[in-house]
Amino acid sequence: MKKHLNNPDKCTACTVCVAHCPVAAATPNFRGPKMVGPALERMRLSQDDYEPSLDYCTNCKNCDIACPSGVPISTLNMLARAKYYKSFKPKLRDRLLSHGERMGKLSESLPAVFTNMGMAIGRKLGLMDLVGISDKAPIPHFVGKSFIKQFKMLRQQSYPDKVVFYVGCYINFNDPQVGLDIVAVMQANKYEVIVDEAFACCGSPLIVNGFFDEAKQNVHQNTQTLQKWIDLGYPIIMGCTSCLLMLKQEYQELFASEQVNENAKHLYDASEFLLKLHDEGRLNTNFSLLNERYLYHAPCHLRVQGMGLPALDLLGMVPGPTTQDVDAGCCGISGSYGLKADKYDIAMRIGRKLFDKIKASKIDAVISECGTCRLQIEHGSGATTCHPLSVLRRAYEKNNQT
Amino acid sequence: MTSRNILKPSPIPSLSVGIGLGDKWGDKIMRKSDIVVIGSGLAGLVAASTAAGQGKKVTLLAQGAGTLTIAGGIIDILGCLGDGSPANNPIAAIPRLAQEHPYRKIGVETVEEAINYFLKICQEEGYPQIGSCNQIQWIPTAAGTLKPTCIVPRTMDISSLEKTTNRIIVGFKYLKDFYPRLIAQNLAAMPGYGGNYEIVTITPPFGGRDLSNLDIARWLETDEGLKEFAVQLSQKVKRGSLLIMPPVLGTSPDYRILNWLKKNLECYLLETVTIPPAITGLRLRSLLINHVKKLGVKVIEQAVVTGSVIENGRCLAVVTESADRQRSYYAKSFILATGGIYGGGLIANSDQVIEPIFNLPVKTPLERDNWTNQTLFSNREQPFAKIGIAVDQRMRPIDETGTTILSNVCIAGRTLAGYDYCFEKSGNGVAVSSGYKAAMSV
Repeated sequence: MKKHLNNPDKCTACTVCVAHCPVAAATPNFRGPKMVGPALERMRLSQDDYEPSLDYCTNCKNCDIACPSGVPISTLNMLARAKYYKSFKPKLRDRLLSHGERMGKLSESLPAVFTNMGMAIGRKLGLMDLVGISDKAPIPHFVGKSFIKQFKMLRQQSYPDKVVFYVGCYINFNDPQVGLDIVAVMQANKYEVIVDEAFACCGSPLIVNGFFDEAKQNVHQNTQTLQKWIDLGYPIIMGCTSCLLMLKQEYQELFASEQVNENAKHLYDASEFLLKLHDEGRLNTNFSLLNERYLYHAPCHLRVQGMGLPALDLLGMVPGPTTQDVDAGCCGISGSYGLKADKYDIAMRIGRKLFDKIKASKIDAVISECGTCRLQIEHGSGATTCHPLSVLRRAYEKNNQT
Repeated sequence: MTSRNILKPSPIPSLSVGIGLGDKWGDKIMRKSDIVVIGSGLAGLVAASTAAGQGKKVTLLAQGAGTLTIAGGIIDILGCLGDGSPANNPIAAIPRLAQEHPYRKIGVETVEEAINYFLKICQEEGYPQIGSCNQIQWIPTAAGTLKPTCIVPRTMDISSLEKTTNRIIVGFKYLKDFYPRLIAQNLAAMPGYGGNYEIVTITPPFGGRDLSNLDIARWLETDEGLKEFAVQLSQKVKRGSLLIMPPVLGTSPDYRILNWLKKNLECYLLETVTIPPAITGLRLRSLLINHVKKLGVKVIEQAVVTGSVIENGRCLAVVTESADRQRSYYAKSFILATGGIYGGGLIANSDQVIEPIFNLPVKTPLERDNWTNQTLFSNREQPFAKIGIAVDQRMRPIDETGTTILSNVCIAGRTLAGYDYCFEKSGNGVAVSSGYKAAMSV
């Protein structure tokens, strides 16, 4: 029962997806996943038919998680959006927000301070508002030195076991420390990390903003690059669950090919990879006690992958207070959705339950794999956030220091 | 790409590594469970809760949110027997059911125990229920008909019918699938429900499209919405009236909205049963999911189980299939609660029905032509509805000779053979009691 058989007729119109859609709960303007996805897809198959409220779908995939019949509802929505943008031009705002990679590269060629200053000035002058980016939204900060630049300076211990790290735009340009922590944790497990600059943006922000053809080029480039490393027998790990979902599942749903399907078998969430090492009896479990109290937020794009919450299992091995799952649903940001002026309030409403639960808890930080989830959680709840492998690195290093 | 030398000198010291072969913290992680429950409908959730309550490590493999979300969220135990004669006391009627009926395998005492266990969970979670397994309650539907059931939330308390003759059907502008005039007309002809019904229509401050019960329930969950609703009602209804409405009193399993409205309007409220999304099922599901998570059950979402690893009549693991690869979930015992043909636990082909995970024999009438009773609304059961897995007294699957096939696998819920839940009104009752029994048997 492969999910990527995009068959709207598997939908029995049972409405479970409507009951679990965070967007429909936050705004009555969205007609809900059942109607916009499979129901209207039947119309779209026979004629061009555009449903305006499709614009509200965040592609968060809670409909797919809820569906008992295996209908890839969110993907039907994204295909419909791609069809729409064949005849309509995307907004400048969406062009900006879907090209984080280009922005990141730009911030590297200029000193990052200019990019960020540009954003800050833009915000002051109301330019953000003018293009349709919310002046209240948590705009990602571009760092001066990308992860890849920093990685090149890194001296790793060489090991016969190697793993390829697909970095992704957010870690590379906005949060390189996460990448460095992932490398350190792999090294602590006697793995040498390979980073390949030939990888492009996974294409997820392009798809949700309607740049389907452009995404195709990225898919092609990434598929070729993955294949090269997989042929050499190296597993691929990722720190960002949305990139991972895109590469392993959405590529199959949107751009199915034999190679895409084969590649998926070799892609791992970094925590899942470490759990695999644990199963093989070779995980370094030399963790020291961490006294901090954490909450864990599972990104929707992880929950839809059908592998549980590997980071929680992994962190469960670190001595100290047990990390609790916040279990309060979507944070609302969905990549760039919550940054858009007309969507900001909806995104904040979606995340309210999560923010309230975090605020009410007395914890030191919130752990989550997804970079933009972390950004939104910090924005909405004021909590400090980190990636699970950053916590793990501390558990290894604390041990090392004593 | 050009390959780079990744081993250049670096200012960052490399980490020392110690492989911890002794799995010191292994007890904190659940890679292997005592029990794997497959399916997160009512049967699976009750099974998981029961097993975890016994101190077992439980993993719940869920595909989708379960059909419980869309169904009524009330517990029918037994409305009538196979010949259509009513069962006023469901428990007393169980011995009169056919030998292969799930209740006969579960046993009268265990059915009672299971229902009491369910009532206890609801009480603990702050959503106490009304009813017992000894007494049928006839509750109103959104078509103005009556439906026999046993356990309902306090939002469906029909005892208020006796307290006033001032009965009002509350409708909502733009709300589909709830037609107050139809309800008023039909209800007036129902035994125990006779009398006059007034109709009051509430206008929500949004629209422009069809609304569902879910939209209204979410509106009432906001402070402004609840107040606006109360203001509109108080202009139109007298104190002491009975307000009959669709299930819109909030989506979460508590009585905050019910109690607030009762107090502020000084009226009785009664939600009807309705078509999906029925809200009451949504409430019950979130209650049970929260409950099992509190008990430490590990819930794996989007776990599409496609096969199993069997050795010498025992199941060692079940296997899920995702977009990337297969994953195996090992356990000492397994509970299969994947539903029937509608829930996806059984797959009907043109000439046979299969159970895809363990490939268990599925009891079907020999000829395909005999699967259905052609008269849809006749007073007879549907043979296809009784298609399922036959089990022994411990809910383990058996073959045609009655021999147990898998010694550590139990079946619960609609996957079971031998009952037409639609006809006899027994769906959630069988789900609760077979889930409970399966967890007690493994």
